[in-house]
Amino acid sequence: MPVYKTPKSIIAPSGCCGGCGHGIIQRLIAESIEELGLQDQVIACVDIACSEWSLDCLDYDHIAGPHGRIASVATGIKKVRPDKTVYALAGDGSSYVIGWTETTYAAVRDIPITMIVVNNGIFGMTGGQMNLATTLIGDKTVSSKAGRRRETMGHPVDMLQAIKTFDVEFAARGALYDTKHIDETKRFIKKGFENQRDNKGFSIIEVLSPCPTNWKLDPVDAMEKIKNENEKVFPVGVYTDRGGNK
Amino acid sequence: MAKAKANTELCKGCRLCVRACPRHAIIPLELVNKNGYEIIEIDQELCIGCGMCYKTCPDNVFTVE
Ligand SMILES: Cc1ncc(C[n+]2csc(CCOP(=O)(O)OP(=O)(O)O)c2C)c(N)n1
Ligand code: SF4
Ligand code: SF4
Ligand code: SF4
Repeated sequence: MPVYKTPKSIIAPSGCCGGCGHGIIQRLIAESIEELGLQDQVIACVDIACSEWSLDCLDYDHIAGPHGRIASVATGIKKVRPDKTVYALAGDGSSYVIGWTETTYAAVRDIPITMIVVNNGIFGMTGGQMNLATTLIGDKTVSSKAGRRRETMGHPVDMLQAIKTFDVEFAARGALYDTKHIDETKRFIKKGFENQRDNKGFSIIEVLSPCPTNWKLDPVDAMEKIKNENEKVFPVGVYTDRGGNK
Repeated sequence: MAKAKANTELCKGCRLCVRACPRHAIIPLELVNKNGYEIIEIDQELCIGCGMCYKTCPDNVFTVE
């Protein structure tokens, strides 16, 4: 029987709400880093938003960039410290809306960083506003009170479909609604770190993650919503894997 | 056999572990920890040490060994 123990890099409880996917993602990052023996050479770049909760929680050198700019912050750090393991952890508002330019050009430049995007379908930390890229049609948010309407608010878009056309090393989407999907998400995140260790190019892993607080759902129902609704629009799996053949 | 242990001071009462345990060994309680969250208890007789609770918990409550 394998032994399951909290990774040593997790040194404090996070400030996340109960049932938030950010906590699971933090653990998967720490497990992947420790399994690869990279814990002494990490520079973590976290976005201003709920990703920032990992600042106190994970025992790595950290920098919090201006909201939305985290892919550029990580790019700069990787350029000057190519020996370091640099990861960017950000929400979907940061990565796909306000910071879509930064995400895009980190991908286009094929910077060998590991980017982890938390797709919770809203702007979490600021109280649950609609996310143009990821809020589902019909979902109620504080800025789409009667539910998102395609006619006036546009439709969700799968940004990994765009990113895969930029010739990046690896793009994949995972989910957290059961242990099978948590295991798969871990494999994607670990692969993102292996690719960086082997200097292969830009790796991005998006994770379908619940925000029970702003979805106004019980944490168990929030996981069910991801399984029954969000994953239908944002399928999990590998979008591109170049296998090191630049 | 490995068994799960819970540090319930870290628990935030989300009940995701209750949903994940294949043996229904995790009992949701009304008892709260010092942060005010309703905690859980593990029925050690039922636990098979599978680690599903560890993998599911966002707040690192579980150790399985
Ligand atoms: C330049 C700038 N614009 C806006 C904000 C306000 N702001 C802080 S967090 C946030 C939303 C974050 O949402 P997301 O990136 O999806 O992350 P989540 O909290 O959902 O994990 C916003 C708009 C800011 N801090 N800086
Ligand atoms: S607001 Fe949402 S994303 Fe932020 S910590 Fe709470 S549940 Fe998580
Ligand atoms: S180890 Fe498995 S059986 Fe035991 S409490 Fe956790 S999920 Fe249930
Ligand atoms: S998953 Fe963790 S935080 Fe949630 S109820 Fe279970 S022990 Fe508590």
